[in-house]
Amino acid sequence: MDIQTQAEIVLRDAQYETWTWTGSTAPVTCFESAALMGFVHVFETASMLLEGWKASQQSALARHAPSLRAAGSKAWNVYSVFLTSDPTPLHTRAIERIEEDFSLTRKIARASVTTPDDVERALLPLISIRSKPLLGASNFESRLRSRLKDVPHDAVTAFLNDTPSIEVARILGAIS
Amino acid sequence: MTLDYIEISGFRGFRDKVKVTFGRGFTVITGRNGVGKSTLCDAVEFAITGSIDKYAVEKAAKESVSDYLWWRGDGTPNAHYVTVSFITDHGEPFTITRTRESGSNRSVDEIRAALCTEPAPEDALKQLTRTSIIRDEWIAALSLDLTETERFDLVRSALGAIDGSESGAKAKEVVAAAEAAHSRNEAAYEAARSKLSDRLVQQSEAQATLTRSGDVTAAIQVVAAAVPNAPTELTARIAAGRRALADRRGQLGRMGEALVLGREVALRKQAFNAPAAVAERQRTSDALERARQARDAADDAVREAERRLEREEATDAIAASLTLLVEHGEKLGLHDDRCPLCAATRTSEEFASGLEAARRRIAALSSEVQAARDALAIARLNAREPAASFQAAETKVAANADEERRLRAQELAHVEYYDKASLDYRFIQDPDGLEQEIARERDRLIELERALLILDASQSVSRISSIEGQVATLRGEIEKLADAVSRSQAALASAREIERSVRRVSAEIIDERLAQISPLLNELYQRLRPHADWKTIDYSIRGDLRRFLSLRVGDGLNPQFVFSSGQRRAAGLAFLLSVHLARAWTPWHSLLLDDPVQHIDDFRALQLVEVLAALRLDGRQIVCAVEDPALADLLCRRLLSTSTEGGRRLDIDLGPRGSTNVVDDVEIPPMPVGVLRGSSGLQVVGGA
Repeated sequence: MDIQTQAEIVLRDAQYETWTWTGSTAPVTCFESAALMGFVHVFETASMLLEGWKASQQSALARHAPSLRAAGSKAWNVYSVFLTSDPTPLHTRAIERIEEDFSLTRKIARASVTTPDDVERALLPLISIRSKPLLGASNFESRLRSRLKDVPHDAVTAFLNDTPSIEVARILGAIS
Repeated sequence: MTLDYIEISGFRGFRDKVKVTFGRGFTVITGRNGVGKSTLCDAVEFAITGSIDKYAVEKAAKESVSDYLWWRGDGTPNAHYVTVSFITDHGEPFTITRTRESGSNRSVDEIRAALCTEPAPEDALKQLTRTSIIRDEWIAALSLDLTETERFDLVRSALGAIDGSESGAKAKEVVAAAEAAHSRNEAAYEAARSKLSDRLVQQSEAQATLTRSGDVTAAIQVVAAAVPNAPTELTARIAAGRRALADRRGQLGRMGEALVLGREVALRKQAFNAPAAVAERQRTSDALERARQARDAADDAVREAERRLEREEATDAIAASLTLLVEHGEKLGLHDDRCPLCAATRTSEEFASGLEAARRRIAALSSEVQAARDALAIARLNAREPAASFQAAETKVAANADEERRLRAQELAHVEYYDKASLDYRFIQDPDGLEQEIARERDRLIELERALLILDASQSVSRISSIEGQVATLRGEIEKLADAVSRSQAALASAREIERSVRRVSAEIIDERLAQISPLLNELYQRLRPHADWKTIDYSIRGDLRRFLSLRVGDGLNPQFVFSSGQRRAAGLAFLLSVHLARAWTPWHSLLLDDPVQHIDDFRALQLVEVLAALRLDGRQIVCAVEDPALADLLCRRLLSTSTEGGRRLDIDLGPRGSTNVVDDVEIPPMPVGVLRGSSGLQVVGGA
């Protein structure tokens, strides 16, 4: 999976404009919406991410400095996303701690990004709610009917409509 | 549907009229502690439900939150009301006004119709505010610290009413009706069996009686002799015979009593008339006569002695008077040679001689009294014994007279008993004859009873056939009743099966819906990331009647016990937000948060803001009250403001007279677009 491409797919689905720019060492994906903007940096290894994220952030900001200075309060909504597919657990915590650095930009830093789901999970702070439970009709009546095959059909029908309880009991045979 | 504005006056800490217009996209409210940020959320809840439910302790010192709904500070508000206005997606307003004086201008049904779609849960408006207004109190008390039953109920309510939710109650009623009918059938079946047993016993007894029957013709003759006027029909004849038997048994008893009486009278009479008794009574009578004569003579002697004593005592009284006279004359002495008593001329010697002569005469007069007294005493003493003898003789005669009276009374009672019992007078003087008659009558009654028994037994044939008919009928009834019991038992089983199935299907539907919102819960949990290691959260449901919903992280750990308070609040917030988003039964898409970031560190506060921004991207209206101005700044930057769904920021504070006012109200404009693109010389693709 190409993280860069997958990130652009997720971001475009979330109504961002995206484009790529070849940075000093690797391509950078730029993104912007009505409220946010930022850069996605992809590293080959976790070590390279830990070593290079500050330089990458600085490089992207420097390149866009004039625009950001003119952006007003939107300049506060810049995200730097640092991703690597390297699955090493050794650096996982150190990479995630990058997110707690509040200087310059809001950071998203993840290792072990190997699937589209991993990409989407990493970019959750940038996108709208993914899960939309669709709670449709419960088909209570048909489900109950299929459970009550051994109970007389007319009794089940009477039970499910407005027939009084005593009448339902009569139809069941309790009262002759 | 979103919140449009609220207008309040005299409500809680707002004395003067304040109108707050909400941004269609979001509204961020800031202010110090206690300036009334929460009151704006309270106003929305109060307008919808008529109460404020956030206080866990309803009453303190006999007061409740209802006593503090309206302004209680200095000064008097011009009016006391809360108005909340909503606006639909089509721009139609819906406004609720509650005043202190007259309550709401909208009925509960109107509010429910506007804010809820069916199928809505029970107590829908309360559930609506509970899941739309997320307060610090809710996050703390109703998130992870909820009991598992309360959590289940909260989620179930948020999911809305489920089709067939009333079926559970109806199924219970059907089971109750089937149980009652089955019980009735069983009772009827048991009663019929008991009746059959009784008939079988009667049948057996009748057959035994039949084997003992004898000569019916002879028996009829006996009964006819005993009851000559009895009807000829057998049953009536037996009844008449039984009555005659009972009457004659009573008469026989009375004859026995007459016999006892007769024997007693005869015995007493015999003793009274015995020659020795007659001679003794004569002797007693004679002795009484003699004693009377002796007593009368003695009494005469006493009376004579008494008369003598009377005479002597009269004489003695004259002597006493004379003595006084003599003593008086002697004391006076001669007066001028004249006697002071008779004035005759006397000498001293004559006078003394006269006195002496008078004394002798007095002595002679009084000397017989004592002798007379002695004679009377002797006479009285002599009269005592004759009197006693007379009394003794008289007592004996009286006793004899009493005995005779008793005898006569007994004879009279004997005769009266014969009268009363209508007995044959021939036997009054003949107890032995009566005794023989009693023996004969007893024999006759035994014969009569035997005859009646024989006639009874002769009837058993027809009775047996009647009982056999009843037994056959009862057996038929029992068969039918057994069928009815069998049918009602099957019906009861079916009713119970319906009840079980309703419960199971309902539980399955809830479980499925919970499964459907599980990804949402997990997404929100992942976005808020309360814990670095446990990246997902799961739930489990258990219980059949009472249902429990537990949350689990990692390898089945309860976050309630492994998370810090801040982490618990973040996880709880994820839970409450998922409940809010899962509601499909309301068109109202506003989320109100009252200071949701307490006890949460800056990093998690930032994540919460990002979650709210994500909800905002979905078109939800966000209203968030915070204390920290920097956090308010962050919210205003991060939540999406567009030309049609703009944002607002309100700063509220207390005025100089202690009432809350809006001191700053600014619109948050949309951010500029194409910022980065302007500085990028490369290709631009995708996007909106």
